[in-house]
Amino acid sequence: MADLPLASIVAAAFGGVAWGIFGGALPGISPSITMALLLPLTFGLEATTAIVMLASTYVGAEYGGSIPGILIRTPGTNAAAATVVDGYALKEQGKAGEALGISLYSGFVGGLFGLTVLYLLTEPLSTVALAFTPAAYFALGMLGLSVIASLSRESLVRGLLAGVIGLMISTIGTDPVTGLNRFTFDSPELLSGIPPILVMVGVYAIAELMAQAGETGWQHAPRERARIRFPRPAVWKRIARPQAIGSVIGTFEGMMPGGGGAISSFIAYDQARRFSRHKEEFGKGSVEGIAAPEAANNTVACTALVPLLSLGIPSSNSAAVLLGGFLMHGLVPGPMLLVENGEVVNGLYLGLLAANIAMVVVGYLVMTPCLWLVGQPRPYLTAFIFALVVSGVYAVETSLFHVGVALVFGAVGYAMRYFKVPVLPMVLGVVLGFMVESNYRRALVLSDGDHMTFIQDRVSAGLLLVAVLFVIGSLLRHVRDRRTRHAGR
Amino acid sequence: MNRDLWLGVIGLVLAGAYYLMAADVPESLLSDAVGPAGLPKIYAYVLAGLSLVLAGRGFAPRLADRPPRAESRGKGPPYVRREIARAAGLLALGAVYLAVVEFVGYVVAVALLIAATVWYQGGVFRPRILLVAACGAALFWLMFVRLLGVQHPPGIWESLL
Repeated sequence: MADLPLASIVAAAFGGVAWGIFGGALPGISPSITMALLLPLTFGLEATTAIVMLASTYVGAEYGGSIPGILIRTPGTNAAAATVVDGYALKEQGKAGEALGISLYSGFVGGLFGLTVLYLLTEPLSTVALAFTPAAYFALGMLGLSVIASLSRESLVRGLLAGVIGLMISTIGTDPVTGLNRFTFDSPELLSGIPPILVMVGVYAIAELMAQAGETGWQHAPRERARIRFPRPAVWKRIARPQAIGSVIGTFEGMMPGGGGAISSFIAYDQARRFSRHKEEFGKGSVEGIAAPEAANNTVACTALVPLLSLGIPSSNSAAVLLGGFLMHGLVPGPMLLVENGEVVNGLYLGLLAANIAMVVVGYLVMTPCLWLVGQPRPYLTAFIFALVVSGVYAVETSLFHVGVALVFGAVGYAMRYFKVPVLPMVLGVVLGFMVESNYRRALVLSDGDHMTFIQDRVSAGLLLVAVLFVIGSLLRHVRDRRTRHAGR
Repeated sequence: MNRDLWLGVIGLVLAGAYYLMAADVPESLLSDAVGPAGLPKIYAYVLAGLSLVLAGRGFAPRLADRPPRAESRGKGPPYVRREIARAAGLLALGAVYLAVVEFVGYVVAVALLIAATVWYQGGVFRPRILLVAACGAALFWLMFVRLLGVQHPPGIWESLL
C-alpha cells in the first residue's frame, strides 16, 4: 500500500465519479457508454490510476441515473427505473431535496457495503459465478419477473397484462437461437431489438411531458427548497432496513453474471415493501422505496467486480469495459491478477473507497444547481427536458429511428396512464425478457429438451424456489387486501 | 364502454395480431424444441386470457377487483378531450423535429424544438424565447457533440461551413 500513488488515485476517483454522474444523469448514456467514452483518455495514465478512474466512473454513473429519475421522471440508467416511482412522487410533494439526499446517502451506504464484500470475499465468492449455467440464468430472470405480481397490487390483472406486453416487446429482433428475424417489419433498425432505455424514456419521461402538456393554469414548477437535504436521524433509522435489504440483494446480484443493477433494484424495492411497516406509502413517495433500490444498485457497482477480478468474467457491460481497461494496460484479470499485480488490486480498493466519498461530495455539489434548474418556469423546463430526451435517445445508437420509437412509447405510456395500467411491470418484462427466453431455450438445447434440467441444476432450483415463494406471497397478500377492501365497503 | 372493456378489447386485438405475426415466423433448420415462435405464441395466449378477464369485468363490473374509489382517483390528468389533444400536440412537435432534423441539422432543430415547446406550453411568443432556445441548443451541442462525441445530423450547415 505504501507504494501506491495516493494523490493520483484520489484525483482519478473524483474525476471518474464526476464524469460518471454527468453521463449517468443523461438519458440514453448508459454507465458502460460513459466508461467507454473515457477509455481512450486513460491510455496514457499509469495503470492503477486508469483502472480507478474507470471503476469510479461506474460508481458515479450508477448513482447519477437516479438524479433525472427523481427530478424529471426520466431514469438515466436501467437500474434507476425502480427509484423513479417513489423519488418522483416525493418530488411532486415538494421534497425533491430530501429524495435526492436519501438517494445519495443510500448509494454511499450500498457502495461501502459492496466494497467491503469485494475486499473480504472476492476469492471465496468467485465460485458463485462459475456455477451459473443457462438454466440458472433463466431462473435468475424468472426471479426478477416474479416481482411483477408484487408490483401490481392495485390490479393484478392489469399488472400481469403490462408484464406480458413487456415480454412481447423483448421478442422483437433477431431470435437468440436460430438467428431468424421476428416482428421486425423488415426494418434493419429493429434487428437488434428495442433497447430498454427507449421504452423507459418513452413511458416515463415523454408520457409525463404529455400529461403536463394537458394541464392548464400553471406557469411555474412547484417551489423546491433549492438544497439537497440529508436524512434526519428519524429517517436514518427508518431507511436502515431497506438499505440493508438492498445491500444484501445487490451483493448477490452483482456477483451473478447477468444480474446487474436493474434486477437488483427491482427485487430490493419489492422486498423493502414486503418488510416495511409503511407498505401503504410505497408508490406514493416512500423514503424506503428510494433507499432500497439505490443501496442495491450502488452495491452492484462494487460486487460486479468480484467475478471480474477473480475469474476474468465481466458480469455486465460496464464490467466488460473495465476489463478492456485492464487489458489495455497489460493486466489480465483472473486468479493470477491478485498474485502478480496485487498493488493494482489494492489501488483499486482504495480508489473505490475514495470514489464513494467523492460520490457524496460531487453529488452534494451538483444537486443545488439541479434543484434550481427544475424550479424554473414549466414551459422552459418542459422544453429543455424534451430536447434532452430526444438528444439522449439519439445517442443510444445514433439513430433517429430510435427517437421515433421513444415517441411511440411516450404515447403508449400516456395510454397506460389513462387505462390505469402500471408501467413498472412492463419495464421489467422488457429488461428481462431476452435473458429469460434465450437462456430457457439454451438450457433446453443442452438438455435435449428435458425440462427437468431446471430442477436438477441446484442454482436454478434454488432461484426458482425463491421466485415461487415470492409469487405465492404476493398472491396471498393480494387476496388479503381484496378481502379487506370488500369488508370495508 | 368502460375502461376495463376498452382495455380488454385492445388487448385481444393486440394478442391476435401478435399471434398471427408469430405464426408467420418461418421454421429454421437450426430450430430448437421451442422454436422462435414458441414463447411468443404463449405470450399471445396469456395476453388474450388476461384481456378476456378484463373484458369480462367490463361487462360485469360487480365482479371487478378494483381498488376503492379514493385509491383509484390518482393524481393523473383528468383526460378530457382537450387535454388529450394538447398531449398529442406535444408529441406532434417531436414528430416535426424528427422530420426536419436531418435537413436543418441538430443545432437548429433543437433550437426550434425548444422554442416551439416553450411557445406551445406558455402561449405567448416573446423574443426572449428565441434567445433561450439558441442558448439551449448551443448547450446541448456542447454536451452531446463536443463533449460526448455523439455525431448528430449536421444538416445543411455542414455544406455552408
